[in-house]
Amino acid sequence: MQGHCTPHEHISRRAMIKGALATTAGAVANFGGLFNSQTIAAEAAKKGKRCILLWMNGGASQIDTFDMKPGRSTAGPFREIKTKLPGYHVCEYLPKMAQLVDKLGIIRSMKTQSPDHPDGIYHMHCCYKQSERTPHPELGAMIAKYLGNADADLPSFVRMGPCGNAGSGYLGPRYEPFSVNRDGKMPSFTSPYGDAKSDERRNDLLRFMEAESAKKSEAEPFESHRVAKERSWRLLRARSLFDTSKDWPAHKDLYGDSEFGRGCFLARKLVEAGVPFVEVGQDNYDSHADNFVCHKANMNLLDPAWSGLLIDLERTGQLDDTLVVWMGEVGRTPTINNRAGRDHYINAWTIVLAGGGIKGGVVYGKSDADGRQVEENPVSEGDLFATIYHTLGMDHRVKHYVGPRPVWATPEGSKPIKELLA
Amino acid sequence: MGFSLRFQLLPVLLLMSVVAPLLGAETTSLRDAIDKELNAAWQKEKVTPAKAADDAAFVRRVYLDLIGSIPSYDEAKKFLDDTAPDKRSKLVKQLLDDQRFGQNQANVWDQVLFGRNPPGSDSVRKRDRFKAWLSAKFNGNVPMDQWVRALLLVEEEGPELFFVQFQNKPEDLTEAFSKAFLGTQVQCARCHDHPYTKLTQRDFYGMTGFFVRLVVLEQGDVTKDGQKFKGFKIGEKSSGEVMFSGNAKEAKAGKKGDPVKPKFLEGAELTEPALPKDFKEPETKTGTKSMNKPLFSRKEQLAAWATAKENPFFAKAAVNRIWGQLMGRGIVHPVDNLGEDNKPSMPALLDEMTKQFIDHQFDVKWLMGEIVSSKAYQLAGDGPGKDAMPKLHERARVRPLTAEELSVSIRIATADPPSEKPQGDTSEYFLRYFGEPTNGLGDFQGSLGEHLFLNNSDNIRKFISRKKGNLADQVISSSEPWEQRIDRMFLSVLTRLPSPVEREKFKAYLTSEAKPEKVVEEAIWVLLNTSEFRFNH
Repeated sequence: MQGHCTPHEHISRRAMIKGALATTAGAVANFGGLFNSQTIAAEAAKKGKRCILLWMNGGASQIDTFDMKPGRSTAGPFREIKTKLPGYHVCEYLPKMAQLVDKLGIIRSMKTQSPDHPDGIYHMHCCYKQSERTPHPELGAMIAKYLGNADADLPSFVRMGPCGNAGSGYLGPRYEPFSVNRDGKMPSFTSPYGDAKSDERRNDLLRFMEAESAKKSEAEPFESHRVAKERSWRLLRARSLFDTSKDWPAHKDLYGDSEFGRGCFLARKLVEAGVPFVEVGQDNYDSHADNFVCHKANMNLLDPAWSGLLIDLERTGQLDDTLVVWMGEVGRTPTINNRAGRDHYINAWTIVLAGGGIKGGVVYGKSDADGRQVEENPVSEGDLFATIYHTLGMDHRVKHYVGPRPVWATPEGSKPIKELLA
Repeated sequence: MGFSLRFQLLPVLLLMSVVAPLLGAETTSLRDAIDKELNAAWQKEKVTPAKAADDAAFVRRVYLDLIGSIPSYDEAKKFLDDTAPDKRSKLVKQLLDDQRFGQNQANVWDQVLFGRNPPGSDSVRKRDRFKAWLSAKFNGNVPMDQWVRALLLVEEEGPELFFVQFQNKPEDLTEAFSKAFLGTQVQCARCHDHPYTKLTQRDFYGMTGFFVRLVVLEQGDVTKDGQKFKGFKIGEKSSGEVMFSGNAKEAKAGKKGDPVKPKFLEGAELTEPALPKDFKEPETKTGTKSMNKPLFSRKEQLAAWATAKENPFFAKAAVNRIWGQLMGRGIVHPVDNLGEDNKPSMPALLDEMTKQFIDHQFDVKWLMGEIVSSKAYQLAGDGPGKDAMPKLHERARVRPLTAEELSVSIRIATADPPSEKPQGDTSEYFLRYFGEPTNGLGDFQGSLGEHLFLNNSDNIRKFISRKKGNLADQVISSSEPWEQRIDRMFLSVLTRLPSPVEREKFKAYLTSEAKPEKVVEEAIWVLLNTSEFRFNH
């Protein structure tokens, strides 16, 4: 537990920085309202909802994980094992997750529209088809906008590994994802070339200039520019949080010693520090050939990482406020092709939700005996997103304008799945 | 009543039309008409305009607006030291004749016609030749109706890429063309009749009929003027129609639809000769490099209609766009949405500008010269109000510098020696971090990436650290008192002199270390990072 930046310590540290600023920057300490003690109090009082997306890049096979078809021609070689839920079985390579099924809301009836990678990745990140000309924001950008805290040191949308790439769309650059490596390596231009002393003094001189110019004009763009600059400085101050080298050894048994596991651990640290959305990608699910070799290897990494994340969230008291979504862009065909592979499939596949606001131990929807079609309760992209937004306390029909055209966070008719809500 | 009033007014109107030309152009100049209309609007809305911009604010603003760069130290100093009363109008004329005027207008229109992420192949990404074509038009002051006609006819070499980005997508081309040159957003009518205006799907597909026969002909690798690039020509077939199948929501798979006749937007259907019986379109095989003119050219009809003086959209859309470019927002805003559901803020002014633009044969330099010479354009940017773009222009607008303006202006500000390679990979970073700083509605929104780049990148540092002849070097090697060196830094970067309190603060900063190298670099970084530098205000 050492080395964590808990929300409480985080605030204290910021309060301390505030004190330091008041002495070095004198009269300008209050510009932008960023260092206002009321703001900090409000931040402390806020106990926000968070979301972690575990992104299975390429599309994981539902039949080889959570919707097994033993005895059918589509079954494949994996055996099923018992879970905590009587009568419900999962794949033998998910033994740890099998013990956590009481925390999962499993949707076995995804029926979606975009069957390929670029369009599927877009669609499952934005819940709209890519071909439409509106630049839709990703799930992460939308959550960053509505759950993010403008005054936070950290960016409100962080992602690691292979993920979506649609970005913040019509919500604008403030909600662009901040990409780091799963081992916490930072992106370009986050290492200062100057020493801390010269950086701090030049920043103070800039604050002085900005305070002077704020006396002359109160136009919004100037203020927006200042706020973004302050954010960039605060991010640098918070960058040590991304460094997991010290606390990783104590956690790698829980998460499994893999890059993906380490990314999940970093995600846990980030949401604890107040980042509302973190996406962690796991690669190599696109198994058109040798599906079973691929999936066995992937699940060996996935099972400890995912279960470790849920256990760790729970033991740090965060699971009730943190929604964990497990999905990729497509499912995989029930039919096994002649290269022992499974191809893309969107007619009946599986997505799993857990934590914040989700009723555990629920298996929702059903595919037919061979897993070819949805038999009960089909779920669209829009329904999934409506469920996610709803559990996070957001309005799933929130409206924005792109030019003269109104656009909603989820398509018309999308509804949260009430059976999954806690 | 109406009749008698008109009857009484008639002699007065007749008299005016005789007298007005005798009074000379001065009394009816567009700049005066602009100020008259704005004054009237401010009085009506009880708005107090800002004071006039001082010379320093004016010179920076007009340099950026006309040639896309801040003035250099020498240029700014020369202007500020000039005591001639007509120095502003002399400067306007000089800038309109500067070669950088055309380049800047080409950059502006490049964003109108392509945007940052144009569709289509990689060959649309590099548009140097398109911009060079457009730049020559602006520098030669080719009237706007003429260069737009040349663009639409796409017979001379240069404008092909506009069409290449919409290869096989005549509907997308219709949208882009209508927005850019008719100031009309037709995209709603692509799938359904427009909910708030009389625009119907028939209108949309009627316009698409003018583009549906165009063909992109790939020329392969071409070498010209020492450049190697993918060449294109645009051909036009004699046949081919748009098929229309009704409201998209009610569309059924497999239904092909009916052919739609070309129809001018909110105007008549095109009358065209019928194709000869048994006409068979020659096959355009892949790799075909040229094709014959069509029996009847629809694009010629469109080009003539679109750029005619009588066209109800063209001139109005053009003046509104250019007004918006210089004044921050269109009289109809956004500038590409002149629909009946989006009323102009000052309709009389829009009509007057349109009329005069047509009377002046679509002379762009004249129009821009008039706007920037108005008192309204020359108002201060300081003052109360949070609006980036005040609706009645009672204060100068605040607009972010484009990526292009920033990359040039940073070099001018830091007196980067011209011998260096032009921008190079820097411009790529600039496009990435400064390319689209808006929230989708046109409001400024700076990204975290922009600031991380400015804070920590060597691409910025190379301009601010000492290098022979650059600003840091000038400041460090000077034997002048610090006050004067600070004046030089401010004038170089912010195009103004420091206030006494700023001068004092900088002096303390710059003398805080025995060796000035580091603190000078830092001070220049500070000036470059101010919001004052980031915006045109």
